[in-house]
Amino acid sequence: MGDNARNNMSDHEERGAHTETIHLPAPTAWPLVLAFGFTLLCAGLVTNGFISVLGGVLMLFGVVGWFRQVLPHEAHEDIPVVVETIAIQTTRRQVEKIVVPEEDRAHLPVETYPIVAGIKGGLAGSIAMIPPALLYGLIAQHSIWYPVNLLGGAGVANWRNPSTADIAAFHWQGLIVASIIHFVTCVLVGLLYGAMLPMLPRRPVLLGGIVAPVLWTGLLHSTMGVVNPVLDEHIAWGWFLVSQVIFGVVAGLVVARQERIRTSQSLPFVMRMGIETPGLIHEHKEEDDGQ
Amino acid sequence: MADQTLPIHGSLDLTPPREGESTWLETLHSWVITVDHKKLGLMYMMLAIFFLLVGGAEVLLIRIQLAVPNNHLISPQVFNRLFTMHGTTMVFLVGMPLVFAWANYIIPLQIGARDMAFPRLNAFSFWLTAFGALLLYFSFLGGAGLYGMGNAPDVTWWAYAPLTARAFSPGNATDYWALALLVTGFGTLGGAINIIATTFSMRCKGMTLMRMPLFTWLLLVDSGLLLVTITPLTAAQVMLLLDRYLGAHFFDTQAGGQAILWMHFFWIFGHPEVYVLVFPAFAIASEVIPVFSRKAIFGYPAMVAAGVGIGFVSLGVWAHHMFTVGMTSAGNAFFVLSTMLVGIPTGIKIFNWVATMWGGKLRFATPMLFSTAFLFQFLAAGLTGIMLSVAPWNWQLHGSYFVIAHFHYVLVGAIVFMVFAGIYYWFPKATGRMMDEKLGKWHFWLFLIGFHVTFDTMHFLGFEGMPRWIYTYPADRGWDHLNLVVSIGGLIQGVAVLIFAYNLVSSLFKGKIAGNDPWDAWTLEWSTASPPPVYNFATDPVVHSRRPLWDIKHPEDPDWKYE
Amino acid sequence: MSATAIPLVPGGHEQTWHRPSRGRVGMYCLIIGECAIFTIFVVAYVFYIGKSLNGPTPAQVLEVPIFNTICLLSSSVTIWLAERAIERGILRTFGLWWAATIALGVTFLIGTGLEWYKLIYHDGLTIRTNLFGTTFYSIVGLHATHVVVGLTMLLLVLLFTLTGHVREEHSERIQVLALYWHFVDAVWVVVFTVVYIVGR
Repeated sequence: MGDNARNNMSDHEERGAHTETIHLPAPTAWPLVLAFGFTLLCAGLVTNGFISVLGGVLMLFGVVGWFRQVLPHEAHEDIPVVVETIAIQTTRRQVEKIVVPEEDRAHLPVETYPIVAGIKGGLAGSIAMIPPALLYGLIAQHSIWYPVNLLGGAGVANWRNPSTADIAAFHWQGLIVASIIHFVTCVLVGLLYGAMLPMLPRRPVLLGGIVAPVLWTGLLHSTMGVVNPVLDEHIAWGWFLVSQVIFGVVAGLVVARQERIRTSQSLPFVMRMGIETPGLIHEHKEEDDGQ
Repeated sequence: MADQTLPIHGSLDLTPPREGESTWLETLHSWVITVDHKKLGLMYMMLAIFFLLVGGAEVLLIRIQLAVPNNHLISPQVFNRLFTMHGTTMVFLVGMPLVFAWANYIIPLQIGARDMAFPRLNAFSFWLTAFGALLLYFSFLGGAGLYGMGNAPDVTWWAYAPLTARAFSPGNATDYWALALLVTGFGTLGGAINIIATTFSMRCKGMTLMRMPLFTWLLLVDSGLLLVTITPLTAAQVMLLLDRYLGAHFFDTQAGGQAILWMHFFWIFGHPEVYVLVFPAFAIASEVIPVFSRKAIFGYPAMVAAGVGIGFVSLGVWAHHMFTVGMTSAGNAFFVLSTMLVGIPTGIKIFNWVATMWGGKLRFATPMLFSTAFLFQFLAAGLTGIMLSVAPWNWQLHGSYFVIAHFHYVLVGAIVFMVFAGIYYWFPKATGRMMDEKLGKWHFWLFLIGFHVTFDTMHFLGFEGMPRWIYTYPADRGWDHLNLVVSIGGLIQGVAVLIFAYNLVSSLFKGKIAGNDPWDAWTLEWSTASPPPVYNFATDPVVHSRRPLWDIKHPEDPDWKYE
Repeated sequence: MSATAIPLVPGGHEQTWHRPSRGRVGMYCLIIGECAIFTIFVVAYVFYIGKSLNGPTPAQVLEVPIFNTICLLSSSVTIWLAERAIERGILRTFGLWWAATIALGVTFLIGTGLEWYKLIYHDGLTIRTNLFGTTFYSIVGLHATHVVVGLTMLLLVLLFTLTGHVREEHSERIQVLALYWHFVDAVWVVVFTVVYIVGR
């Protein structure tokens, strides 16, 4: 048995070249016979019943032979060995440690804005967007409902291929749907700003307030023709861009004026577990100031 | 003396070479009756490589047939047999034997054991697999199909009911399929039991579970997965045979049976099976990448946890093969989400491999080249997998060439690439000679190009709506040029594999002598001779860390100080 | 050999190196695999409950095999007593309990045979009759096959006991075999519940 073999082997104490014997399981053909018998047993089903019978007989022989190998104890083969020490070494002696500087954690901001800041920013931006949109409606189509219906058109039942006059008229369903879409989208984008602004390298308001809306408008401009061709015909892209930029700047400014809080990942484990230790906070604030 | 405490102090003997004196008949006899895990591992490997060539030849015929529109080189019936045999061969006679080839040869060496836990069961499992394979291929001669002549199974490798019922598949070709897989299935079960018992019960002193090499760990999880994966297939095959021979009604729609039950049973086996096949690729990558990056594996516990996680999650995703069958929305949602969940542990693995390479001193020997390609290709395969896991997308593309492209990206781009990496990596250990690096590079680049020409193009064929299983197509569908490109890529891969085969044989006789530790690696198998003596280690090794050979090579800075 | 003075191994406490017995691990693995096979058959049985297009139905022909079940389940107790006996080296007691286990197992098989005889020749239910016949004979037959295999192994051990080949040091192997028998009994609980209680 393998276990016995290792027991026999484990307690030699001599060193240097010496002779020993190792027990290994003896080779045997019985598993082969058993496997062949089983295969023939199955093959008989697709060929001839006699092949199954032959397979059964072979299996019987195989099982008996196998049992005689392991009972009452397993058959061994003794292999004489001269134990020699082999040197294990390497030509690559030099070991270099990769030092990861603390700043590598800078990708995860140490401080960020609270969630409320994002919501506030989104709401402020959403309100700031309204005047230019209404202004556009008044100037271009002489109706403040025009932009509202463009956004909320989906809410007006059975509205297919509306005329310009249709869009300029007041529809209360349009107003409700437009308001929901407007405020939900704005709050979501505001939250995104709150999460992203601390991570933007420099001039967050410039990037978040102007560059991002311009890119976003460009993306919409190039895809709206595919996504919703009808809506695309009615959008004045210049005005659209203006309102987006206003949203971006206002939301960005509002978010940036909020007080920052530490990200929980940078807090010590004890505090993340929710154990209140005011002294600990103080201590770490000081450490941060020192850095 | 310091050597009193040296962990591994002797493992080589100077026994007289016995095999050299024997005749070839005696040598053959010694291989046939062997219970030695190394010989059995090599036999599994030879079986797998042989059938890889056979299955490859079958698919080359398929590709030649599909290269141009309106081709009638081979008949539709033969085409059906070819893709059935290609799938069955590659999964059951290549992929599964490969699992056991690696596990058999490497695991006892890596955990410092003399043999597997059940050496005779090991031989039994191998011979079941080999004879099962013979039985399957005997159907080409002995199977009586619709046309009364030699006939291989032609019901695809998942053999959906009720196509497999007596009424629709007369003759016994389908029985050959079911019986052969039943036989190999028992072999697989025996092999899996053996691997698990070996890893749990045969570890050398100090080799705790959390010090086991990742290779061993992943194949342990793989075997656990096999235990609960291959057995449902066996059960389903028994039901199929009961239907066909005793007139039972499991999948008989005339008597109220339901064909969909077979689909569920088959994919309960079939999907985890894919993970069973890919685990050896993960295992090899987890050995090759650290050694050729000269760094310890990044995030060992996370890698273990991710491996176990993949094993568990893979058991709950099977019905994503059945979105087009029509399920409830809840069923669709569950299988979409569980399938996507697989992406998380797999992602952890990819990130950890990349993090292992990061900052390392990379050596792009052939095994590392294959591993690097594997990382990219496995990522791409995973991403198309996530695409296909979205039910509506799946409704659109199920049964198209996009699906073929996706799973061949896994099976070839990940598994076959890593099998090549593993062969280049451990060939010196098994034979004592290095494989030729120059031919290896030719093999790698040709295979890489052929792979991408074939399978990248297949994605587009899928988008263009080309269905699977068609044996030819009219010229006006816009599929002609792409199909030609796919076929040419297939031929390039064929050439690359021939180069590999030549390299394998010529290196066996003329390769550079390797020495015990050609790659300067850290796991126990490199501490013994190449090829290892029949008893592996003359004295039982004792380990103290995950990289026992590192500890010996760098006594001033051993790993156990950090673990 | 390196002659460095740096200690090469972590010093201090040497724990004893313990590994589970390979026989036990192997048997547990086999049991897990078998569980999967039985699960598939149980699922098929449950899935087809009440879906037969024609009779006989389970309610018409099945009788709950109480005596059989008691026999099989109590054989788990007797084999456990036998295990305990061999651990303590009381070979005579071991042989007695072991023989009792076999007797109970054979009684179970005979009971199943009688049940099948009644179903086939009196009620006309075969594996071809309907879905109930198909699933019933395959799940109970699968279990009976396991009982037969188990009994063969048990008989072999009894034979060796009678010829005096079994000694105390074989208790490990005996216990591994007993594990299989416990599994066969446990599966019967599931089969019994599904076939004779849920499915009736």
